[in-house]
Amino acid sequence: MKLASLKTVANAHNDSIWAVTWAPATEARGALLITGSLDESVKVWKGDELEQDGMHTGHSLGVVAVAAHPAGSIAASTSLDSFVRIFDVDSNATIAVLETSPSEAWLMQFNPKGSVLAVAGGGSASVKLWNTSTWRLDASLSVLKADTSVKGAEKTSGKFVLTTAWSIDGELLACSTMDGTVGIFDVSRGKLIHYLEGHNMPVRSLVFSPVDPCILFTASDDKHVRMYDAKNTGLVCAMSGHGGKVHSVDASPDGGALATGASDRTVRLWDLSMRASVQTITDHADQVWGVAFRPPGGEGVRAGRLATVSDDKSINLYDYS
Amino acid sequence: MKIYPYCAMALNHLANHYFFTGEHFLVEQLMEAALAATDNPVLKSHSFYNLARSYHAKSDYDAAAVYYRASVKELKSPKDFILPFFGLGQVQLKLNDLKSALSNFEKVMEVQPDNCECLKALGHIYAQQGHNDKALDSFKKSTRINPHDAEAWVEIGELLVSTDISGALDAFKMALNILRKSPEKITVELLNNIGVLHFERSEYELAQQAFKEALGEGVWMDLDSIILKSLDMDGFAGFANDITSNDCFYRLEEQGVALDLPAGKVTILFNQARLYEQTHELEKAAFLYKLILYKCPDYVDACLRMAAIAQASNNMDACMEMINEALRVDEKNIDALSFRGNVELKADDWLKAKETFKAVQQITDGKDAYSVLALGNWNYYAAGRGEKRDAKLEATHLEKARELFYKVLSQNPNNMYAANGIGMILAEKGQFDMAKEIFTQVQEAAAGNITVEIPDVWVNLAHVYLGLGQFGLAVKMYQNCLKKFYHNTDSQIFLYLARTYYEAEQWQDCKCSLLRAIHLAPSNYMLRFDAAIAMQKFSTATLQKAKRTADEVRQSVSELKNALRLFSLLSGMTGHHSHGFDGKKVEMHVEYCKHLLEAAKVHLEAAEREEQQTKQKQEVARKHAMAEEAKRKAEEERKIEMERRKQEEEIRRVLEEQENFERLKEAWRIKNREKFQVDENEEEGGTDKKKDKKKRKREKKQKGQREQEVEEGNFAHESSDDENVIAENPFAAAGLEDSDDEAAANGMDADDTSKAKKSRKRQAMSDSEEEEEAPTARSDSDKGLDEAMGEAFGGSDGDIGESRAPEMYSSDRSNDDEGRKKTAFESDSD
Repeated sequence: MKLASLKTVANAHNDSIWAVTWAPATEARGALLITGSLDESVKVWKGDELEQDGMHTGHSLGVVAVAAHPAGSIAASTSLDSFVRIFDVDSNATIAVLETSPSEAWLMQFNPKGSVLAVAGGGSASVKLWNTSTWRLDASLSVLKADTSVKGAEKTSGKFVLTTAWSIDGELLACSTMDGTVGIFDVSRGKLIHYLEGHNMPVRSLVFSPVDPCILFTASDDKHVRMYDAKNTGLVCAMSGHGGKVHSVDASPDGGALATGASDRTVRLWDLSMRASVQTITDHADQVWGVAFRPPGGEGVRAGRLATVSDDKSINLYDYS
Repeated sequence: MKIYPYCAMALNHLANHYFFTGEHFLVEQLMEAALAATDNPVLKSHSFYNLARSYHAKSDYDAAAVYYRASVKELKSPKDFILPFFGLGQVQLKLNDLKSALSNFEKVMEVQPDNCECLKALGHIYAQQGHNDKALDSFKKSTRINPHDAEAWVEIGELLVSTDISGALDAFKMALNILRKSPEKITVELLNNIGVLHFERSEYELAQQAFKEALGEGVWMDLDSIILKSLDMDGFAGFANDITSNDCFYRLEEQGVALDLPAGKVTILFNQARLYEQTHELEKAAFLYKLILYKCPDYVDACLRMAAIAQASNNMDACMEMINEALRVDEKNIDALSFRGNVELKADDWLKAKETFKAVQQITDGKDAYSVLALGNWNYYAAGRGEKRDAKLEATHLEKARELFYKVLSQNPNNMYAANGIGMILAEKGQFDMAKEIFTQVQEAAAGNITVEIPDVWVNLAHVYLGLGQFGLAVKMYQNCLKKFYHNTDSQIFLYLARTYYEAEQWQDCKCSLLRAIHLAPSNYMLRFDAAIAMQKFSTATLQKAKRTADEVRQSVSELKNALRLFSLLSGMTGHHSHGFDGKKVEMHVEYCKHLLEAAKVHLEAAEREEQQTKQKQEVARKHAMAEEAKRKAEEERKIEMERRKQEEEIRRVLEEQENFERLKEAWRIKNREKFQVDENEEEGGTDKKKDKKKRKREKKQKGQREQEVEEGNFAHESSDDENVIAENPFAAAGLEDSDDEAAANGMDADDTSKAKKSRKRQAMSDSEEEEEAPTARSDSDKGLDEAMGEAFGGSDGDIGESRAPEMYSSDRSNDDEGRKKTAFESDSD
């Protein structure tokens, strides 16, 4: 299990890069890399050479998140201005602009079927579900327990929803907040099932295992990466090694490894069978905000790829084997 | 002996023999006989010496001392017989009579300046008397004479530990190398010390090696698999969460995993755990601490480290539980109490914290610098706290804090934290120059010491620069601090940075810093408020500029829209959220932004018109230039073409002549073909060439035509362009007229801005007062880490345990937030 450097794009954006994702391959082309930056632009890159393929503008105040539709042709981006922009990856044409209250959109993810876009609702203490055919708001899942007797500000303080993730079967939805709460929703019933305990600091990244619909990975400011059984509320293991806040986590498509990016400027590769860090990469010169494994699929694409982005304005691409 | 039983010399030699065979009663008998048999002082001295040595060997030091002294007394000069002096010295050392021992050893040195044992003994005495330099000299001299004496190297190492880490490490390593080559056993303490020193020098891998060797076999050999094993049993790995439970150890033992922990290795295991903590392998560290506590429940340091780990991940309940656990073992443990006070302070439990620190003071008789500093900080915070500011109360708190800081300084003039505290008080009182001096010194001292980290002093220094209006320096200081200590992730310092940019009127940088802060702390709405203000200021500033491009105006309008959006959100929120800002003020901002946006529309239109004008002007100029250029080119090309045609004409003529000539030749050749068959080959070559030339000619012609076409095309374009220019001109004229209106609009705004400026100045003043609150926040003197480090090194039983871990004292910034936030960015809208 190893990462080998393939390509570095220095100054890929004019400012810190905060978000990265892969748009899966379509029949016409291979997978594309999408990055979002404080410079207010979203860029699309192709091939192992990372040639810039397109640029989507329209955001103000810095792009916080990008997400790609599983079909590969549509992507979404959000910025600090709290607009969610949906655009065509290949033509860069804007498909829809979803307006939310300021500070009520943070990270997001399409469900595996591609029918719903879940957007972490920030200050609204909820996850917003947008219908991807009508681009209307379908549902809002509150991270707060219904029976809480505390009210108003008390109730929502610390419950700023930062990120959200779908299980591979699309039945569970996880979200995490500034105070470290991780909530698990049963999507079909539209209900909060339970919280996963363990983090007491912001959890900025979540990802479900691509092979096991129950296994959830979390990355937190407390420098830990944790592995949970999301259905049974059990903590499977906690992994530490980063010297700073862990900003991003992604699971390899084969389900055997994790990659994490942290404020200590390093990217780590974790072997899940050993539950230990097996490689530390120190190529970035500033904190690493995003790591993303390329999804499988497309012509002749067997090799694994990992892309990482950082405050140092660069994108790094690695071969994962 | 049988011949002459009274020969004292022979008796002495015999006694010597029996001494080495260990038959001390025979020595005594023989010596009594010898003493009776002679009057020779040297011989008597030998006899007394033998007696003394015998008692010495039996550990009867008092008797030994008596006889050594008797032996010495017989001698006129130490040169006659030196050994009793050495013996006496040793015995006196044992009896703790350092002075006499010293003088005896010095006598030995006079006679035998190269006596290593004596040098080492001297070294010990100097060290015990606190003359470290002299001690060091003695040991160094001894190692020069005998470099293979591991013991002397160890002594040197221990003497250097507190002053020269690398020197100490080198000495320990010398000892280690000597021991490795010899059959002697390498002591665990030596390895531990080497490990600790590597740890201090941040050489974690080397430290790891040393600890590993020191620990030898045990469960700690393969922690990965042990932890994995205990995980698989439980299906649950919450070491950090489930702090007090020993279940996993019971189960491991049930599975036959031996969890032996020899008493001598507890310290090393603790150090190993500290090392894991340092390399962020927290699971392993927690496992080891828990193992230590499982085996030795009274090991308070392990308790406190567990508490520190819990605190680092913000698990405050577990943290408090561990501290209380430590206090159950030892209710007067200063470290545990200090830790508790700190946690209470962070939880905003002011009264409890004060009580806890006072308790520490009582236990230590006021000599514990940490608690004094903590109380100083407590008073400092108290001065800046509270919604309503009571000037009198504030002053008394500050005075009290100052007193406490000075108290620490008088006890320990090198205490950086106390100095930092004094600096804070000075800054608070507006004495920036002196504060700067102090902070700079502290910062330099801290930078020169690898074991100390005080990010707060960087921040404080930056605050002072800000207070002095040296924005560039302040920015640099904040940025360096962020990078050096916080991985660029501290939103609070980003806020300070933004504030500096704000003061320096660098709106875009200000906004950028704030956006980074928001990205890190999205739930802090105050940051959004500040960002909105930065954008509003930017727009105002650009709109006021005498010269600005339409792009700038457009940008400022879009910023203004963003600002308005943010303000409207915030005004909606203040109703039911308490985020610490004034609802009315936000309303005012909303209104102001709306108003400004209206005004900006006019600006925008004007600017866009202006832009169009200049664009048109530029366009006209450009086209004019292009036309000229094209004309000139066309002229040139025509000339060239003419010449070319002439040349071609000539060439053609020449060629035609040639052809004629060839034709004639051919005709002639055909006639003579039969005669000149040999020439055929040649002739064919000739025709080939001809064809070639023809081809080329044709090409040339084509080129010429094409060029002509292109030229014509260009002309066509030009003419159409000309039409355009004429068509656009009327617009340009209209734009000119409008510019008057624009000026009027400007005038209106100018009023606004002058007002704004005034209010800003006022605000700035009040801000600068409150600004000092920021140092408050930071003032938080992390307690004397240096001290903790000093304690940690118990020489051979060295213990890394920074019992008062840096974690414990990480500064509390949350308190200052409120105060600062309020003042963060007063806007000029009111």
